[in-house]
Amino acid sequence: MIIDIHFIGLIITSIMASAVPLILASCGELITERSGVLNLGVEGMMIIGAISGFAFMTVTGSLFIAVIGAMLAGVLISTIFAFLTQTLITNHVATGLALTIFGIGISAMIGKNFVGIPGKEFPVLFESLKDTIPFLSPILFGHSIVFYFAFALPFFTNYFLKKTKIGLIVRAVGDSPESASNQGINVKLVRYSCILYGGAMCGLAGAYLSMIYTPQWIENMTGGRGWIALALVVFSTWNPIKILIGAMIFGGLTIIQFHMQAMGVRVPVQFLTALPYIVTIIVLVVISRDSRKIRLSTPSSLGKSFYKDN
Amino acid sequence: MNTNLKISNVTKIYPGCVANDNVSLEFNSGKIYALLGENGAGKSTLVKILSGVIIPDEGKIYLNENNLKLNSPLDAKKNDIGMVFQHFNLFETLSVFENLIIDSDEQRKSLREKIDSIMKKYNFSIDLDIPVLNLSAGQKQKVEIIRCLIRNPKVLIMDEPTSVLTEQETSELFLSLKKFSEEGILIIYITHKLKEVMQLCDEVAVMRRGKLVSVSQIKNENIESLANKMVGQNLKTIKKRKTKTSSDQLINITNLNFISEDPFETNLNNINFSVNRGECLGIAGISGNGQSELFQVLSGEILSDKNSIEYNKNYIGDLNPQERREYLMAFSPEDRLEQAAIPQMAIFENVALNNFKSSNFFNNGLINENKIKEHSKKIISDFNVNTDNIELKSQFLSGGNLQKLIIGRELITAPDLLICFNPTWGLDVGAINYIHETLIKINEQNKSIILISTDTDELLKLSDKISVIHKGKLSNIMNADEVTSEKLGILMGGGN
Repeated sequence: MIIDIHFIGLIITSIMASAVPLILASCGELITERSGVLNLGVEGMMIIGAISGFAFMTVTGSLFIAVIGAMLAGVLISTIFAFLTQTLITNHVATGLALTIFGIGISAMIGKNFVGIPGKEFPVLFESLKDTIPFLSPILFGHSIVFYFAFALPFFTNYFLKKTKIGLIVRAVGDSPESASNQGINVKLVRYSCILYGGAMCGLAGAYLSMIYTPQWIENMTGGRGWIALALVVFSTWNPIKILIGAMIFGGLTIIQFHMQAMGVRVPVQFLTALPYIVTIIVLVVISRDSRKIRLSTPSSLGKSFYKDN
Repeated sequence: MNTNLKISNVTKIYPGCVANDNVSLEFNSGKIYALLGENGAGKSTLVKILSGVIIPDEGKIYLNENNLKLNSPLDAKKNDIGMVFQHFNLFETLSVFENLIIDSDEQRKSLREKIDSIMKKYNFSIDLDIPVLNLSAGQKQKVEIIRCLIRNPKVLIMDEPTSVLTEQETSELFLSLKKFSEEGILIIYITHKLKEVMQLCDEVAVMRRGKLVSVSQIKNENIESLANKMVGQNLKTIKKRKTKTSSDQLINITNLNFISEDPFETNLNNINFSVNRGECLGIAGISGNGQSELFQVLSGEILSDKNSIEYNKNYIGDLNPQERREYLMAFSPEDRLEQAAIPQMAIFENVALNNFKSSNFFNNGLINENKIKEHSKKIISDFNVNTDNIELKSQFLSGGNLQKLIIGRELITAPDLLICFNPTWGLDVGAINYIHETLIKINEQNKSIILISTDTDELLKLSDKISVIHKGKLSNIMNADEVTSEKLGILMGGGN
């Protein structure tokens, strides 16, 4: 069997493309969780982003409005979560699960009118550079702006958390909301902002799926990616760079197992389909084994409600 | 410059409890003020009002004649009121420097210089770039103090600052506080420890049940007079009768080791000791030196080598807590609400948790509620637990009442050995007295106690023998009457 270098380049490109929604959603959720809020509604926010993006695109015809609209839809639905968990002090886990169920349901309802409508072509950047360097340039160039944004995001997120004052405040709130509040930090404001930011990123991840990755609307098209994104955050021990690695491994195995199935490798299909999940978790657990570092990067107040009694 | 802080007619009412009842006080810089009272007397509420954490229902605060509106901790900071809380307000996973820069508007570099100069001035030495969770309690407190000093406060409030400190750290703290006071910072020192008030302060205000009871000069007071004011009645002083200890060995620990996989736990290194019947062995040490691990190994929460613990001629190192209870051991862990009792469960349910075979609390897998309730009522009356409602959730009991309940529960079996870990931590004088009396009674009945405690006074009062744990190693076992608190302090710090 001959596998030419062009084919490998194609595989790498498709791996990276499939990692994009995971990176976006994980990095958003990471910020939310670093502030101590556990939002299990990632899948729901993504699917809402997916249908909103597609609907805005079909109705307005503008890709720009569609992307912004998807992000705003993510913000809107996460506002519900924020209001429930931060203002009404509901349980994070139950509220997050409800959000996912709600998102899947409402997206299917809205989506009925959009099934079967073809998507639009999303403009790509650096198309002209695609032939400059053999092998590398088809991988590096000719992608959408969301693609480039996604691969820069983990580094920005890392910088934001480690080097900026606001990032420090987010980590402080996640570590001990009581102390933060006693220091005069507005815990609710910080947590609201982080939840809304997470919503925006999940909305964007959804829009990428329905507008760029597979430009059409299919019911339940996120297909569990939101849960994978959640798992990536935890198994990467809240480290954005490790999220990037995890997303690449997951995306990679998903793509490779498709090709293996296509080549007729004699392994049960079910095993191949399960492979990305298993390997991603194993790899992330292994690279995150330092229990000291885990303790330092785990938000101590994750999932705990905070309220001030005066 | 002179600072004058005035609290005028402050009242704060919680449902079912008046935390501050029309309190008025005045403070002037140059002096160190003590605010003295038992737990629940309202002193923490009062200082939380001063620091903007709690907003009073009525009353005003004046700083140098200006009426302060303290609606948030930020307002207190802006008005130069600094506060070091009893429970540290630090972010454990952030570095020391990150903890300090978070509420400062200064640039990294100038802040670092400022911190360095503060540390130099007051002889603090703390690595600014390690996470706070690696610091000792004394160092954490220094970080809190530095955080206040960065803002050049006019008022510095210390809420029970010595509850986590060693003798040495305490005297260092007192030196610093005196220095701050000389530099014109008004210091308000909240405590229920009378000795410290006598040592450190110039003036003392005593609170009881939300009311201000007295304001007086320290030179006109002594420990007894203050204690009586604080409790509101005459306290009897208790003393252990020196019994001649038997030579009948009850428990013998040989070559006990514990290696933890958690880097934040302390390893235990070759622990050897024995306790005779009727004896109390005190184990002193600064918290975090392996006490909690030692307690867990002794209670069976952590299993060890079978032969390392010999109890009543049985080897029990590999038995779990329940099995050890069958051998008439009893345990009172440090954390009353997390380890000893389940906060959301009723008193009688918590009593039943300590179930053992002979208790008859359970018949054929069913709960014998009458039996449990009957027994719970007996504990409540025998051990002076201040409630008559055994259906009350245990989280609503005060620390003292909960501790009495736990000790009472543990003594159901008439155990031969009681292992306690900081039994009087955070309790008020009355409750401490009661617990101490109970422990002495146990010894008088020829039963034994292992008392792991960070309170040296308590150890000196109750123990027959004392050992010190430092970094997971036990010192020689000394007779209690040959030991002084200074000597313990040195051993606790790792000296010889």
